[in-house]
Amino acid sequence: MVKVYVNGVEVEVPPGVPIIEAVEKAGYRVPVLCYLNDFFSEATCRLCVVLVNGRVVPACKFPVSDGAKIVTESRELDTYRRMNFQLLLSTHRIKCWSCLRKTSCSLLDLSKQLNLGEFPVCSECPLTGDDCLVAKGEPCLGPLTAAGCSAECTRNGVPCLGCRGYIEDPELWRDSMRDLYEKHGVDGEKLEAAAKFFWSFLPGELKKIISEVSRDK
Amino acid sequence: MLTQTSLNRILYGSRGFRIRVPISSCTLAAGAGEVYRKVIKVVEEHGVDAEVYRVGCTGLCFMDPWIELAREGLPPAIYGNVKTEQIEHIIKNYSEGDLSEATAVRFKTGSGGPPALEEVDFWRYQVRYVSRNCGLVDPESIYDYIETGGYLGLKKALYMKQEEVIEVIKTSGLRGRGGAGFPTWLKWKIAYEQKNDVKYVICNGDEGDPGAFMNRLLAESDPHRVLEGLIIAGYAVGATRGIIFVRAEKPLMADRLEKAVEDARKLGFLGKNILSSNFNFDVEVYRSAGAFVCGEETALIAAIEGRSRPRQRPPYPATHGLWGRPTVINNVETLAHVATIFQTGVEEFVKHGTEKSRGTKMFCVTGAVKRTGVYEVPIGTKIKTLVFDLAGGSIEGRKVKAVQIGGPSGGCIPAELMDLEMDYESLQSYGAIMGSGGLVVIDDSNCMVDVAKFFTSFTLAESCGKCLPCRVGMRHLSDLLERLTSGEASLEDIEVAQELGESIARSSLCALGGTAPNPILSTLRYFKDEYVEHVVNRRCPAKVCAKLVKYSVDPALCRGCTQCARVCQVGAISGSPGEVHRINYDICIKCGQCLIACPFGAIKKV
Repeated sequence: MVKVYVNGVEVEVPPGVPIIEAVEKAGYRVPVLCYLNDFFSEATCRLCVVLVNGRVVPACKFPVSDGAKIVTESRELDTYRRMNFQLLLSTHRIKCWSCLRKTSCSLLDLSKQLNLGEFPVCSECPLTGDDCLVAKGEPCLGPLTAAGCSAECTRNGVPCLGCRGYIEDPELWRDSMRDLYEKHGVDGEKLEAAAKFFWSFLPGELKKIISEVSRDK
Repeated sequence: MLTQTSLNRILYGSRGFRIRVPISSCTLAAGAGEVYRKVIKVVEEHGVDAEVYRVGCTGLCFMDPWIELAREGLPPAIYGNVKTEQIEHIIKNYSEGDLSEATAVRFKTGSGGPPALEEVDFWRYQVRYVSRNCGLVDPESIYDYIETGGYLGLKKALYMKQEEVIEVIKTSGLRGRGGAGFPTWLKWKIAYEQKNDVKYVICNGDEGDPGAFMNRLLAESDPHRVLEGLIIAGYAVGATRGIIFVRAEKPLMADRLEKAVEDARKLGFLGKNILSSNFNFDVEVYRSAGAFVCGEETALIAAIEGRSRPRQRPPYPATHGLWGRPTVINNVETLAHVATIFQTGVEEFVKHGTEKSRGTKMFCVTGAVKRTGVYEVPIGTKIKTLVFDLAGGSIEGRKVKAVQIGGPSGGCIPAELMDLEMDYESLQSYGAIMGSGGLVVIDDSNCMVDVAKFFTSFTLAESCGKCLPCRVGMRHLSDLLERLTSGEASLEDIEVAQELGESIARSSLCALGGTAPNPILSTLRYFKDEYVEHVVNRRCPAKVCAKLVKYSVDPALCRGCTQCARVCQVGAISGSPGEVHRINYDICIKCGQCLIACPFGAIKKV
């Protein structure tokens, strides 16, 4: 057994185990994404970085050494984790409304843990498939609105009005228009009317996209 | 050691007259093949009693192709930039004792005539320690190598115990010449202490940096020295097999190493019971399709195993390497140093260098200098000496602006810091790395943002894609630089570049990702004003970034010759003969053809 210090807490672990086990034993948590206990530990996502004796290393792969001083939280580490998470999100096309994994999504969990990244209300909305308000022809603004409200309105059958603000991601706007509103034939005028509620807060481009849908119908 | 008799035999050959023609990838590209054939023809036609002798390259690329004529009684004379039609003339004159046209002579007899090598700038500051045989002996002849004292080091090492061999390298203080500068003896010791019946030693000859070719030069000009070092390393760690990892893009290097291995096997320097000791060792040359990431040792091992990506260390290769066995990986130059240390003794080696890093290092100086080439200088030599004294400084009318040290993963050192003494630590503290030793000299006709963009696009393409920061982060950095060079970026973007670059450098998996943002970070550190200029005034100070420059006609100089209008591919220039021409900016694609074509210098970049 080797002794290591996780944020000053002394723990004993078998030699050679990855740092993450010592961290968990000490009662701390580090965000992990690509690490799957015993199945995959190639240290590719670099979200679990910790400081070991001042060196930045991935907790999921780096083995413990005797007397190692491990730091799991610091401003520096936070920057790297946020940066890497944002890099990951930049390659992820958000389509929560049609995603099968939205109830068990590691990205969503991590974004909450790191307090980063915006997902649409759909990620919290329990209505899927034919139950989706948009599929029923309702002008629900959920796909364009930032989550965090537990989708209280849509849960109770009330279309989202976008009170939490829009998501700043033009790709997502266009995707939702094509995948949802146009596909299900939502009445453009109704949609515009719903968006008018917080109209002055919407960016020009989004206004234009909504107006176009309205005009086409 | 090389005795006078051996040196004479090497210099003049058995017939007393040797004509050296360098045959290596670089000289062949400069036309040495033609020169070689022509020399043979001239010698045959005129009945000159001379031996045409093939050698490797000396590293003086600026005077390729060169030939050296050496006849007993005359000082061996080197002729640079030879053309085939001059050869007849040169051989005739030399035979008659007229050396006036030679660039330099190897040593001087009497006064007057061309300067000796010790007197010319491109040789004077050099210490030819590991490259001593380059350009002197036939790389494909094992006997010539033995004549210069070759395989004597191996013999000495085999008389020692393994610990003693490691101790010799420890006292020499040799550090890895591949870039990181890890003490060689420590690597060996860790591998030596592992209990395992199979161990490997690998010679890393991947060398992927643009602008660095000292490993290729060394292995092409003196392959046996590298091989000898590898055998000594194998003996020290108790390995049974050695692998020389060479890029398939360097066929001559691989061929010569293969020939060296074959010859050494024939003479009993490889195989069972080497030199009557009970040490068994064999070497294989492994050709791999090159990838820059293979310079990283875990990726190199993976490449031999059939995959191509680095992995997180530890476990280090010294304990858990190729096929899970203890493996020592040394650079070509490191191994050549090992062989030379054993041949000439530690004292000779420690004479040069600094307290922390002993010995010499080969540097490739390329870019905007007068004399590009490979120069071997003691570690701790000033950048200034290398760039201005050895390489002759910038081309006429230009000013050296910065030096990119360590290839695409190194950093730019500005001209103000030219007094810096180059060793592993000092370069690191200024944001560059020693790397394999490539120096790209950048003059004031270059835009630093554009330079950073070039190196970033290289590392982006060479990123293996395993870890997130390098794969995605470098893409974002590259996009950001693209925006900067088109004048579409904001000041915030510069800060983002800084933060993102630091994050990639610190949190990436391997050394490639760890050093990939160096060009951006170092240019941001020393040339931030150029970045700001691109954003605030949307102007490229060096007038390089195509989207930020405009071509215009100076009415005072334009004579209306219509040259520019004729070369313009898109028809953006209008004007009739005798009239001042005009450029239509809506159509102009900024190709710069008109600038080259104008005989009066009337077209200006603004």
